[in-house]
Amino acid sequence: MRSTSLPSRRQDLADEWRAALAIARKELRVALRYPLNLANEVLQPLYQFLLPSLLLGATFAVGGHALGLASLVGTDDLAGFLFLGIVVGGMVGAAFWEIAFSFKREIDVGTLEPTWLTPTRPETFVIGRAISGIVIAGTTSLVLLGIGLAIFGASYSAGALAALPAIGLAAFSMLGIGYLIASAVLMLREPNFFVDATSFLFAMASGVAFPIAVLPIFIRPVAYLLPTTYALDLLRYHALGIRPLLEPWLEWLALLCLAILTLVLGRLVFRRTEHRMRIRGTLGQH
Amino acid sequence: MSSGEGRLVSLAGDLRAFGAAARKEWRLLRRYPSLFIGFLFWPIALPTAYVLQAQGYAGGSAAATSAFASRAGTGEIAGFLFLGWAAYMWISMILWGPGTALRTEQVRGSLEAIFITPASRLVVIFGPAVSQVVWALWMFAVVGVAMWLFFGVELGLAAVLRALAVILIAVPALYGLGALFAAVVLRFGEVHALVQSVRGVFTVFCGMTFPIIILPEWARGVALALPPTYLIGDLRRVLLTGASLADLLPDLAILFSIGVEICLLAVVAFRSTERHARRGGSLAQY
Repeated sequence: MRSTSLPSRRQDLADEWRAALAIARKELRVALRYPLNLANEVLQPLYQFLLPSLLLGATFAVGGHALGLASLVGTDDLAGFLFLGIVVGGMVGAAFWEIAFSFKREIDVGTLEPTWLTPTRPETFVIGRAISGIVIAGTTSLVLLGIGLAIFGASYSAGALAALPAIGLAAFSMLGIGYLIASAVLMLREPNFFVDATSFLFAMASGVAFPIAVLPIFIRPVAYLLPTTYALDLLRYHALGIRPLLEPWLEWLALLCLAILTLVLGRLVFRRTEHRMRIRGTLGQH
Repeated sequence: MSSGEGRLVSLAGDLRAFGAAARKEWRLLRRYPSLFIGFLFWPIALPTAYVLQAQGYAGGSAAATSAFASRAGTGEIAGFLFLGWAAYMWISMILWGPGTALRTEQVRGSLEAIFITPASRLVVIFGPAVSQVVWALWMFAVVGVAMWLFFGVELGLAAVLRALAVILIAVPALYGLGALFAAVVLRFGEVHALVQSVRGVFTVFCGMTFPIIILPEWARGVALALPPTYLIGDLRRVLLTGASLADLLPDLAILFSIGVEICLLAVVAFRSTERHARRGGSLAQY
């Protein structure tokens, strides 16, 4: 039984934190065992998204300049626009695939029930995977940004560092989203399409591939509800000097509120889902 | 029984086996209804994302839009991108199809049993892939309807028939590539990384999202050696610019001759790997 006195609760929290770090280390070790898959983390966004997008951009270029993009967002640095987009795209991928879908992988190999029988809280597994996901996505993003800078002529202002807290807040939000999607993964028996489709739509609605202004008017409100929209807009605002969607202070405020909201809501839904599945005995079914 | 009658009986048996293999795969597909949603979602969502991206690049600038039209040979941006991605998705199906079917049999432990049957190897390689022809037709239909419904791109019956002729001429090249991958599965077991790499090469060089005219000269040389380049370019020409089959004759001749060469190569590669696998007893190993 968990003790509720203050020192005991602190001890509990320290134990859970140690467990989260252990889970993150385990996930990172597994990832390091497959170096080709790790290389693919960099190569896949390059050939599946960045190169086709850059080449499409080159088709619209006038005298080597992205005039259309410049008139819409205020910068003609197409490479910078897309490579910064992939930073947030990587965060979305980490939340949907590394955090949420990893539960499906555990179900498939039959290890979900045994791990949930340990005294570690199920939420701690989510946090552990979020840490490893952020490490992998962060490293991949840095490599891709370097490629953008060195090969594709992207140029990021030093002011981009001012947007790092926005990325941090978005990471907290994505943890909350990870809880929500993990709940759905636990409920659905075949969640592959759900995760694939929702992560794609989430990234697109956040403006990873194009300015939010081109979204159909009935979808645009959805974009304004996503934390990643603001994180990416602030990142591009500080790094490339684009025109922001809203006043920057409003975007910071929205980001903060969404981080709190998604975390609280995500944890609540995840706990309820886990409780329901324990009662029904459907945790390991697939 | 004379040798002629024997051959006829054998051919009839192979045709029955072909039908049975296709029916089996179709039944398996029907057991997973979420796949149906995917076949409706991706042919619309993926090209739409690139159409929105193109709108971002155009940004209301007449100069940018006319730069696209002069390079692509058509101002029909949505049609250009939808056709490119439809071809990409069909190519993906064919590349994955035969190899994945063999790999699945290998993992299930039924590959050796299939190879012991007197059915032709063509049945083993292409029988399961036949069911995917239904999906390919479905996907092209979804793309056609989406182009018409959402972007007002109307395709005339004569142009559609010409497009079908282009697709038929591309069949030997693409199915030959699928058979080559099947040979690689027999030899090495896992081909995921290879398929991803080849898909990457096709995405970057074959003009899914851009006209190959914008590639540097060396890259254009690579593009012109790859069958999907001709398929995509010719589909766009017959459907968007009203080109006749006679206009495409040189392209179609190259596409067909590459197809014949790939098919011959695939036959040699498959026979050699099958012999190797039988002698080494590695048919069921994975």
